[in-house]
Amino acid sequence: MSDLTSLGAAAAVPAGAVPAAGVDPALASFVYTEARLADEARYSQWEALWDDDAKYWVPMHPDHDPRVNVSYIYDNRRRIRSRVAQLNSGNRHSQTPPSVLRRLITNLEVVAQDSDTTTLAANFVIYEYRFDLTVWAGRYEYRIRARGGDLKLAAKTVHLVNAGGPIPTMSFLI
Amino acid sequence: MTELDTSAHAGQVDVAALVEPDRVHGSVYTSQEVYDQEMDRIFRNGWVFVAHVSEVPEPGDYVTRRIAGEPWIVVRGKDGEVRVLANRCTHRGNRLCNADAGNSSSFRCPYHGWTFSNDGRLAGVPMRDGYGSSFHEVRDAMGLAPAAAVDSYGGFVFASLNQPAITLLEHLGRSTTAIDRLLAVSPTGELNLRAGWMKHDMRCNWKMVMENNVDGYHALFTHASVYDAVKPAKVSHVPSKVEVYVRDLGNGHSEIDYAKEYSRLDEEFIWFGRIRREKLPRYVAAMEAARGPEDTHRAFVVGPPHTLIFPNLFLAEMNVMTVEPLGPGRAIAYTTPALIPGADEVNEKTLRRSEGAMGPAGFLIADDGEIGARNQLGLAAGSPEWVVLRRGEESDITDETGIVNHDKSAETPQRGWWKHWTQVLTGTAAPGA
Repeated sequence: MSDLTSLGAAAAVPAGAVPAAGVDPALASFVYTEARLADEARYSQWEALWDDDAKYWVPMHPDHDPRVNVSYIYDNRRRIRSRVAQLNSGNRHSQTPPSVLRRLITNLEVVAQDSDTTTLAANFVIYEYRFDLTVWAGRYEYRIRARGGDLKLAAKTVHLVNAGGPIPTMSFLI
Repeated sequence: MTELDTSAHAGQVDVAALVEPDRVHGSVYTSQEVYDQEMDRIFRNGWVFVAHVSEVPEPGDYVTRRIAGEPWIVVRGKDGEVRVLANRCTHRGNRLCNADAGNSSSFRCPYHGWTFSNDGRLAGVPMRDGYGSSFHEVRDAMGLAPAAAVDSYGGFVFASLNQPAITLLEHLGRSTTAIDRLLAVSPTGELNLRAGWMKHDMRCNWKMVMENNVDGYHALFTHASVYDAVKPAKVSHVPSKVEVYVRDLGNGHSEIDYAKEYSRLDEEFIWFGRIRREKLPRYVAAMEAARGPEDTHRAFVVGPPHTLIFPNLFLAEMNVMTVEPLGPGRAIAYTTPALIPGADEVNEKTLRRSEGAMGPAGFLIADDGEIGARNQLGLAAGSPEWVVLRRGEESDITDETGIVNHDKSAETPQRGWWKHWTQVLTGTAAPGA
């Protein structure tokens, strides 16, 4: 992520990237499953997708460095567990009842591949209905790891188009 | 028009009739006219927090801000002075500087090329021959309009857009002790507020954001999900078990003060996840070198403040929050972690703690925002007309530190806020006093 200078750069795909049609159906299916579980507030099932070294990151700018900049979300595995536990408590008021959500994921591409981990990127739009309709949009980047015949989410970064803010309350799983 | 547009549109409002010592009329949160009076009396004629010196450390550094809807530039000139200048070209009114932050010796209007040096002087007018001699006689007066007064305390820069009736120190009153308390956890007495501001769009009145910050009653309920599912409260919420106080510091400032409880326990860093000092060796060494072991221990025990400084600054322990009103039913809460120069081992933890608690996705503030929005919706009901602030009124004690209550769930801070608010709006206290 260090070479990203803007959301535009975040969208850059190296030459030779595998076009959408070539994305392994199992990886695409994993991405869509993650999206559906988040949309449907199936918090524990969503949590089970994550690997132990998970990083769930929503920065305020693509160039930001979590060591010196504050992010909206910069969760490790332990904090993901806490986030889910809070959502499951029934007293997370900003998600009680859960926002009604549906997200569209498009332009799915493989941007990097090593022995066990595939990095994919995609554009997204989320429609959130709570008091009224809020539209969220941006760029997802996923690191998905093959682990003992299973796929696990090692990292998910969310570059919001309006990351510079202000943004409304964002306590659903983005 | 959505469900959330709940602003009432009354005629002439006499705000003195809307506030009593132990209750306020619901329309103080919903009336456009009350809001307009607040912008005039509180935000345009009193001292407001605008920036921190660490945001503009070098000559030419600037940040842009809005105060009462007006655009301002906070900029350090080459003479080292921090100025607050209207972000509006004096020619035709174009917003001059359009970045959140940057460094520049001058600002050039993109519309017709008028250029202003960063001390506000009009430095260049293109094709000046097109202006007659009468223009050149007034040209020197066409610099960027400065805020009438700018001053700082402990690195926190405040401005009064119009001439204030009192000094910043008079306005801050007892609240300087809170800034001192925050600076006491820094070896150099300095802070770094450059991690970025989370900007949280809240669908509630700006005063709800501020009052809630010093509400010791709500945590067990609004934040039950944190205590039940994530981690227990740092000390008990039961008043009889703890030495936690709320305090009306005067001038609208107030706080929740854990100092006595932490001192009683004599335990360091209860306020910082109960981290052990062995985990922060370089920071501890720097503190002890700068302040000596006793003061260092005391700073680590007592920790940073939880203090609201009227009208728009909240020292949220190791975070700083400021609020920007955007109408009766909308406000933006800006939050940034208070980092300590050179203390990287502390700062990374502060960053993570800040993300955990604060901002639009924070475990705490997201729910405060939701409760604020529902509060705004509830107030749309015209009956009952009043909001009740009687909790602890019979156990308030006045001492040299202010009006104090030994029950942190007492509404002492809110009573202090409204008393001052009324005095400012009705002109019985100097704006910003």
